Amino acid sequence: MLEAKLSEAAILKRLLDAVKELVSDANFECNEEAITLQAMDNSHVALVAVKLEASGFKRYRCDRAIPLGVNLGSLTKVLKCAKDDDILTLKATDDADILSLTYEAKSTYTDRIAEYEMKLMDIDADTLGIPDTEYDASVTLPSAEFSRIVRDLSLLGESVRIEVSKEGIRFVSDGEAANGNILLRQSAEAAPKKGSSGVRIEMNQAVTLTFSLKYLVNFSKSSTLSKKVQLMMSNDVPLLVSYEFNQGHIRYYLAPKIGDD
Amino acid sequence: MGIKGLTALLAEHAPKAFHEHEIKTLFGRKVAIDASMSIYQFLIAVRQKDGELLTNDAGETTSHLMGFFYRTIRMVENGIKPAYVFDGKPPELKSGVLSKRFEKREEAKEEGEEAKETGTTEDMDRFSRRTVKVTREHNEECRKLLGLMGIPFVVAPSEAEAQCAELARGGKVYAAGSEDMDTLTFGAPILLRHLTFSEARKTPISAINLEKALEGLEMDMSQFIDLCILLGCDYLEPIKGIGPKTALKLIREHGTLAEVLKHLREKVAEKEEAADEGKKRKGGVQIPEDWPCEAAKELFKKPDVTPANELELEWKSPDIDGLVDFLVREKGFNEERVRKGAEKLTKFLNAKQQGRLDGFFTATAKPKTSPAKKDKAEEKGKGKGTKRKADDKKDAGGSKKTKKK
Repeated sequence: MLEAKLSEAAILKRLLDAVKELVSDANFECNEEAITLQAMDNSHVALVAVKLEASGFKRYRCDRAIPLGVNLGSLTKVLKCAKDDDILTLKATDDADILSLTYEAKSTYTDRIAEYEMKLMDIDADTLGIPDTEYDASVTLPSAEFSRIVRDLSLLGESVRIEVSKEGIRFVSDGEAANGNILLRQSAEAAPKKGSSGVRIEMNQAVTLTFSLKYLVNFSKSSTLSKKVQLMMSNDVPLLVSYEFNQGHIRYYLAPKIGDD
Repeated sequence: MGIKGLTALLAEHAPKAFHEHEIKTLFGRKVAIDASMSIYQFLIAVRQKDGELLTNDAGETTSHLMGFFYRTIRMVENGIKPAYVFDGKPPELKSGVLSKRFEKREEAKEEGEEAKETGTTEDMDRFSRRTVKVTREHNEECRKLLGLMGIPFVVAPSEAEAQCAELARGGKVYAAGSEDMDTLTFGAPILLRHLTFSEARKTPISAINLEKALEGLEMDMSQFIDLCILLGCDYLEPIKGIGPKTALKLIREHGTLAEVLKHLREKVAEKEEAADEGKKRKGGVQIPEDWPCEAAKELFKKPDVTPANELELEWKSPDIDGLVDFLVREKGFNEERVRKGAEKLTKFLNAKQQGRLDGFFTATAKPKTSPAKKDKAEEKGKGKGTKRKADDKKDAGGSKKTKKK
């Protein structure tokens, strides 16, 4: 059976907001070490991978690996009933028919305990093996900055060209009526430390790739989870957008747009 | 047309072979479409409100051009790259079927005349649809139109479905687009149906995967061809008294068509004897005297096609002036709409295509957790009979069902 206690329901709420735009149903794979989720969108363009480490929970127990097939829309509804700072407990038995969620209010005024149960489903989806890739360019930037860039550019056109060079990282969008480009330079600090909030670029070679903005805007919903986002790119392979947070990570892979062959 | 009852048979025995797509998830795919069948479709379906064919001022039919122009644009707009394949000479075996179709058409014509005098407009409409015949002019006009649109087309040496299948097998295109199930018999790995349907009908595109179909039927390709011939194809008279269920059973029991025939002939002979004795009427299975099933099989196995690697499919920018000349001046189309359509073609054929993850990441067999789950499901199935296994009757890739408790 699974029993997992999160000190704040907000984490799960935000995670779900970041995933549900992409897929409607997915398996939460629970095992001793972590809860993971991997799902691809209908047209096989983007993939989302979530990991919640067992150590990130206040209490975590999972005796044997179980998949929890969840309709993300339903789970969102059930989570709407929780306040952000509620203590959340997830429970499921080994046959994984029902997921039960308990919310304990932290408020000192009321001693409120709410219990919800939702039906689970059998989801037959292939798991994809994601090869470990050495990326040619890795850019870390504030997640709010990334959200703003993709939101702004999505008003102009459908796709964005991302160019990483010595100069910095440039986002270019050519729309029918207007075009625009945004350049982020490497932060001024000589050797920016990992913890700093600026833009950090590591690259072996210049990279230029084009992506659909619609998907990037979806990905950027995760900025509520982490202050920083990392973009990993190599020519002609999918982009990796990674948000790391205390309890784990959420990673998106996006296939690039390709020119006429 | 096609194989009798194959769709239903596959739906029952190999549901995993079917997959429904929205047209927009097919972006970036190249598809070979059976043009000759599409012309039929358009002549039958693209009609005015009163059921008459669309015509220009001079009274020439334009339904087929209308269909080709707008539905091709619809595909291109959704990121699909269509290539059309036209029928060449029909194989000799098909002459029987063709003459029958001709008879039917004549019949419909006569009935139509009658209906004109006595029947309602509805009847008339029905008969006029049954008398549709694709002429050489229709074919030529469509080719001219496609040329102007910059869409590639191939004229098959023989059957268009077979050529579509060859293109798909040779990797020139992702799938064959046809309504004819015999495209599968010709060995197309993936068959897309409903591709050229009108947008208004909102029919999802149904993709049939040959490999999964064979898996579901527990057959190899040769047996599958045998099954199709037994079910009734375009080239042979069907055997009377054998429906889809019997056909499947016979092939499964006897392995090959030759064995099945031997078995049937024996049975017929037995029956005849019995009939002589008991003076009963001869019923049940009747095998036509002249039934060249070997020839039909050969036709399915090695159809007369141009090898895929000898063909180059190239999508070009449309000739807008040419299109306006042809469609507007000659055929009376609305100039504004034609220009708009041509613009869309230019835009989408030159646009960058969205890639897919499939090429980069491959599906792993099944997650580690899966075996445990399967065992459990089986245990449960035996024990309480509450939960059905996911793999039981699911399409691969994301179908689901709420568990019952």
